[in-house]
Amino acid sequence: MFGQYDIPIRIEQEGITVSVQKEGENVFYMRECLGESTEKILVAGSGKLLLNPVEPVNKPKALASHLLIEFEKTMQVEPKGTMNIFLTFPVEIAVFMPSNEEFEVIDAFTLARQKFTLYGDPINGVICKYWKSRIYTAEPSLNRIQEGIVGLTITNTTTGWVEVTKAVFNAYGMKIFYDDEKLSIKANMKLKVGGSAETECMNEPLVEGMTKSLEMYTVRKLSVTKKNFIMESGL
Amino acid sequence: MMLDKVLYRSVTVFDLMVVAIILIIAIVITKALSLYLRRFLKEKVNRGHLEIFVKITSYSIFIVALLIILPLIGVKLSGLLVAGGIAGLAIGFASQSVIGNLISGLFLMIERPIAIGNVVNIDGTVGIVEDIRIISTTLRTFDGPFMRVPNQKIFTANITNYAQNVARRFEYVIGIRYSDDADKAIEIIKKLIEEHPLTLISPAPMVFVDSLGDNSVNIIARIWAPATEWFGVKTELLWKIKQALEKEGIEIPFPQHVVWFGDKKRAPRFEVPESGKNSSGETL
Repeated sequence: MFGQYDIPIRIEQEGITVSVQKEGENVFYMRECLGESTEKILVAGSGKLLLNPVEPVNKPKALASHLLIEFEKTMQVEPKGTMNIFLTFPVEIAVFMPSNEEFEVIDAFTLARQKFTLYGDPINGVICKYWKSRIYTAEPSLNRIQEGIVGLTITNTTTGWVEVTKAVFNAYGMKIFYDDEKLSIKANMKLKVGGSAETECMNEPLVEGMTKSLEMYTVRKLSVTKKNFIMESGL
Repeated sequence: MMLDKVLYRSVTVFDLMVVAIILIIAIVITKALSLYLRRFLKEKVNRGHLEIFVKITSYSIFIVALLIILPLIGVKLSGLLVAGGIAGLAIGFASQSVIGNLISGLFLMIERPIAIGNVVNIDGTVGIVEDIRIISTTLRTFDGPFMRVPNQKIFTANITNYAQNVARRFEYVIGIRYSDDADKAIEIIKKLIEEHPLTLISPAPMVFVDSLGDNSVNIIARIWAPATEWFGVKTELLWKIKQALEKEGIEIPFPQHVVWFGDKKRAPRFEVPESGKNSSGETL
């Protein structure tokens, strides 16, 4: 499903229908996903269409700029220890229309469950997109239209055992890569003294040869100064 | 020389030219500095605070320019100090409310109980803060009109800021019949809350039997939602809960009274003899 297409095009996959047809000089865009449908008339177009996985914080509303992944089971990390685990994350797909060497986001949709949560307290906390994930010790085989893989390296920099139940990532720092089989994010989590942690997504694929996805915030020309996240309200 | 020509007192054309140049320089510096601050601090400071900071900077530049200009146009600052005492008294009385609003405005900027874009309730008036000026604050109420509120009133008023926190809790009281299964009703309500994408996982929603009322068993549902979305979620979810409960045969009862007729408390019955006369022989 991911990649660049020539217009006209009709894609039908796993209950998702994306159709882009030419009507005179205009382009008629239609999308259906989980009973939700969108129709748009695009006045101009380059004759191309790009479908890309994007940071999973845009649906049903772009309310959050962080993704909180709650682990199904609690993890204990030994003092000064490092663990490599795999988690899952929800996939959101955006439809881009290239125009004059720039990309315009015309739609976004997802098959994943959409839910929000609060990390921290209501005064100083942050609203996060919520996702619950199993912890895998090897790369899981997933449906890449619905779920992607987070390759997470957890480093305990403290001298005590640390219990970890969740990880919060800044969506503006997410670098999503994809190939024909999977979708991935590579991330680090440093556990620090005082029950805090720093998370950061890496700008590299899980395995060589994966294609880097277009980032929503660069397309929207948002200038981002902070791409990591400090978890200070509990692990 | 034309420039040395005295216009009044010792003020020359040259002085007026200097005044004009200072004014132009002040305006240029203000514009340039405002532009620079807006660009430089755009990502670091929120919009409301940035606008206030820019305004304070602009006013400060103008005050400095004014202090430079006044001696050039024949107003002696030392003289102002002497006259200031008397004039200050008069002006003080005349502009009591203006000064009060100005001071309140400065304190509002320091304390920052509200910011531009916040949804607030100021003494019963609910609206979105459009602008915080040095004397007054502008609100846009939800039915459309703009409202100017003097800063002194805001400073002394009870303010509820609905947007200060990122999340907000709302509550329903749902009454069901005594004959209905409250556990089942709680399960249905919890499921609906969980299915709604904009209700928060944490803080977790609470659904429980709160009281045994006169006409119904009262279930309370406490739900958290993002502060920007809570009203939409609240209005949407209540009807869904009502429909889901009714679908499962759980009804929200009307107020009702049960009246019991006990046998022993029936009104005494009067026997009427067949002849239509009582024992004393009177016709009934």
